[in-house]
Amino acid sequence: MKEKETEEEEEQHGITRGTDALWNDSRYAIRVQSLHKSFRLYHEKKSTVYEHLVGLFSKNKGYEKLNVLNGISFDVKKGEMMGIIGKNGQGKTTLLQILCGILKPDGGAVKLSGSTVPFLSLGTGFQPDLSAIDNIVMYGLYLGLTKKEIKERIPQVLSYAELERFADTKLKHFSTGMFARLAFATAVQVDPDILLVDEVLSVGDVSFQEKSFETFLSFKKRGKTIVFVTHSLELVKRLCDRAIFIQDGIIQKIGRSQEVVEEFYNFYEIRKNV
Amino acid sequence: MYSGRFLKGVPLTRYYSLIFSLAISGLKLHYKNSFLGFIWTFLQPLLFLGVLYTVFNSLLGSRILYFPLYLLIGLVLWNSFARSTSSSMMSFVSRRDLLLKVYFPREIIPISTHITTFIMTLFDLCAFGVFVVLFHFVPPWTILYLPILLIILFTLTLGLSFILSVANVYFRDLEHIWGIVLQAGFFLAPIFLSMDIYPPSVRHILVFNPMTLVIDMAHNIVLYNHVPSVGAFGYLTVVSIAILGIGYIIFKKFESKAIEIL
Repeated sequence: MKEKETEEEEEQHGITRGTDALWNDSRYAIRVQSLHKSFRLYHEKKSTVYEHLVGLFSKNKGYEKLNVLNGISFDVKKGEMMGIIGKNGQGKTTLLQILCGILKPDGGAVKLSGSTVPFLSLGTGFQPDLSAIDNIVMYGLYLGLTKKEIKERIPQVLSYAELERFADTKLKHFSTGMFARLAFATAVQVDPDILLVDEVLSVGDVSFQEKSFETFLSFKKRGKTIVFVTHSLELVKRLCDRAIFIQDGIIQKIGRSQEVVEEFYNFYEIRKNV
Repeated sequence: MYSGRFLKGVPLTRYYSLIFSLAISGLKLHYKNSFLGFIWTFLQPLLFLGVLYTVFNSLLGSRILYFPLYLLIGLVLWNSFARSTSSSMMSFVSRRDLLLKVYFPREIIPISTHITTFIMTLFDLCAFGVFVVLFHFVPPWTILYLPILLIILFTLTLGLSFILSVANVYFRDLEHIWGIVLQAGFFLAPIFLSMDIYPPSVRHILVFNPMTLVIDMAHNIVLYNHVPSVGAFGYLTVVSIAILGIGYIIFKKFESKAIEIL
């Protein structure tokens, strides 16, 4: 019944929400309906006053419209782990950015029920000139923790990242791996209902990767809803309940992760042969 | 259309600690990166004062009463304005990565940058206090008006900071243009000159520039025991609140588009 609804709505453009009762169905953590997003692709990017003035007098608009998302609709149930796969530049990260509220969609509707934390990348906002502890606090605040909450968790973060000895070291003296471990350890301190994750499970050495993998499994066990963008098809098969395969801004296939991954392989096999 | 808890129903007050931590870490970065750190707060105005004092007092001869302090208070307030607007202007562009990866209310960025620079202004005022003592100057009671003037300056600058932070995303050469505007403003504001040197007709135009009025008023209340007129105070209050309001509206209108082209 639900699948049928979604299909019907996919036909139309703009905001189509079905009935409010359906839209507000409490079984779903995330509902996305006919999402559209386009960017202006500038051939000559006007970024100064001078260029804008010159641009007023030239007829060439200087950009073309790049449709990144062409009407995407899907739902994620509460406690479900949804993988999103697709090649580079197919709109996966844009989709996540819209889910997080960083970008605004041109058309369509998004509804998230529950608190959200974006894991779009690790260590953004880290200041090389501040100590590990200062950075943990800042990063925690960015992710929406209160100062008290994050202060209480500093020992946990340091021990998780195995960086207790470097608590007062400035971040610029950290190695890439240490940097990533600290970022990941801080990020998993948040306790949201919905996690939006963009390719962050491949940080650190093998043992740390295994540890971060375990952490995500524990999130899942605690009934968190997770949307997970990755290029690692094996991880999708191991972790996700369902998956979405995005191609050219539309959903090529949505279903059980095993099937979607196969479809992904098939799709590109066919392409290669032609 | 978007609905999610992170965007709706979460008041800006939830982010107080983020705003202040950002402001404090900005301060830490500012002072940690220089060798003499905090001492620069006192050294810089002293050196600059030395230069201006030599030029305007010894060479040109100034007839302004308490000239060194006159110079200094003007400089402190003008620097506050210049520093705050120019660092807020860069705040969006320099945090591109953060803005594209984490969601929090975007106002936080210019607000916290503004607070950082304003705390520096308070340090500068302490330095001014030290000079007041060194010159054996006893300020008149009208100095009690200074906090009100500072609040007006804060409001006014914050409004401009909102506009500049998003405008600089669209027009990347704005920082050069703004540099020139600031330079011109420095000579138009009564920092090392007295308003008296202008003919009355010009003076009537100049006082419409809020910064001119702020600095002129500061001279009067800190040094000369003049109670500011209600009209001037009223004008400044209205203008600064209007600029803050307009600035915020412009900011809200363009912030999401600015993020896309960041």
